[in-house]
Amino acid sequence: MTHALSLHAISHCFDGAEVLQDVSLQIAPGECVALLGPSGAGKSTLLALLDGRIRGWRGRAEVLGNRLPNNRAPERETRLKTGFIFQEFALVDRQSAYQNVMNGRLGRMHTWSSLWGRYGAEDHLKTAIALEDTGLTDLAQRRVDQLSGGQRQRVAIARCLAQEPELILADEPVSNLDPAHAERILELITDAARKRGITVAFSSHQPELSRRFASRIIGLRAGAVLFDKPSAMVGNDDISELYHGTVPGDGLRVVS
Amino acid sequence: MSRILVWIVLGLALLWAAGNANIGLDKLPGAGPRLAEFLGRMMPPDLSVWPEVLTGLAETLRIAILGTLFAIVLSAGLAVLASETLVPATIWRPVRALLAAIRSIPLILVAMLMVGAVGLGPLPGILAITFHATGMLAKFYAEAIDNVGTAPLAALESAGASRAQLLRWAIWPQMAPVVLRDTVFRFELNLRESLILGIVGAGGIGLHVQTYVRSFQYDKAATVTLAIISLVLLFEGFNTVLQKRFS
Repeated sequence: MTHALSLHAISHCFDGAEVLQDVSLQIAPGECVALLGPSGAGKSTLLALLDGRIRGWRGRAEVLGNRLPNNRAPERETRLKTGFIFQEFALVDRQSAYQNVMNGRLGRMHTWSSLWGRYGAEDHLKTAIALEDTGLTDLAQRRVDQLSGGQRQRVAIARCLAQEPELILADEPVSNLDPAHAERILELITDAARKRGITVAFSSHQPELSRRFASRIIGLRAGAVLFDKPSAMVGNDDISELYHGTVPGDGLRVVS
Repeated sequence: MSRILVWIVLGLALLWAAGNANIGLDKLPGAGPRLAEFLGRMMPPDLSVWPEVLTGLAETLRIAILGTLFAIVLSAGLAVLASETLVPATIWRPVRALLAAIRSIPLILVAMLMVGAVGLGPLPGILAITFHATGMLAKFYAEAIDNVGTAPLAALESAGASRAQLLRWAIWPQMAPVVLRDTVFRFELNLRESLILGIVGAGGIGLHVQTYVRSFQYDKAATVTLAIISLVLLFEGFNTVLQKRFS
């Protein structure tokens, strides 16, 4: 496997509008990449597509060496290798933090015993480690609807880590958090991934955070890739063109 | 324009109902004293029938409990078939129509049919309650399934969970409080509705109500009424505690 992700000419229409236009990119195993762009640029669609939750798109996509189908959900094996962190956390509110993290391991369990809540020693161990790594050990038995936004996001991350993915896709993981929490959460995701050798692609509309935590930034605007370069080489020109459709010195041309 | 039309239609309906029916409003002035006399004859309640009333009440309670239990079992299966999210429209539409048809048949009519089918006693009462309650409960359960938040579902599916696992760990935890609330509500309705089943011979305390009223033993009917009120109030209290505990 030379690429963790390999996209070739991906396009997708939704309600007659082109949300993704001819997107091609590769991400190497272990890389940490940010998808940067304004709201409606197609970042969420692209990540959901890579997670196998979008149907009817065109092009060719390989995720962790497996060809992604565009007409059905991927096989269970593929799904559990790709972890996803949702913007709205997507936790089961009435369950404890522990059970929510355990939910991330369902794909690795025998269905029958999991239905009765009988988990193996390995599952309990991986859940405990994920809770420890996210600093949630003391909150494990609390119901998640009693936790704060930052704590809930950490539960979502712990669930993703307990899943033992090879690739983490994170859709605006910090847009619901205040700046201090946002930094800590991104640090948590990227550190945990680096330690485990997991590839990360996260979307964000915050250039500073993206530059700090990703080694490479892909700028998306109106469903197309505007630039794709190492974080250190992304200049202010790139950013302002991405957000305002203008380049300094180019007058105030607005591209809608 | 259409608002005026609505008012006109409502006004006409009211005129028609009040003007054409042979209501006999002239009887109204004499109703007060007669009602007072009726209530007077209920006092004091004749508590000597207490053991009989208790037996009848216990039978009513048993009918409500068993009827609810069977309705839960039937509804669990039918709810899946009536759910918009779990099955295609070609299945849930006819199932929902069937449930609506069941709901539209009054309980007392079902009870009479059941008495005709299996004879007198509590069995026709249980069958009638089961049939009648399923029409509502299955619809409520189906709506509980359909109202579950989809984000956790997508998250667990993305993590590799199977369909059965989704049902157990993403759908069920979200719908459980709703199911509990609906079931308790339906049990309360079953309890109240089964009080009258005895009138058509389908078991329970209704038989005593009918017997005492028909034979002008209003003091004994008063005892039955008090017993029924106590039972319903008792359950109301139990329900309040339950709702607070599970949310």
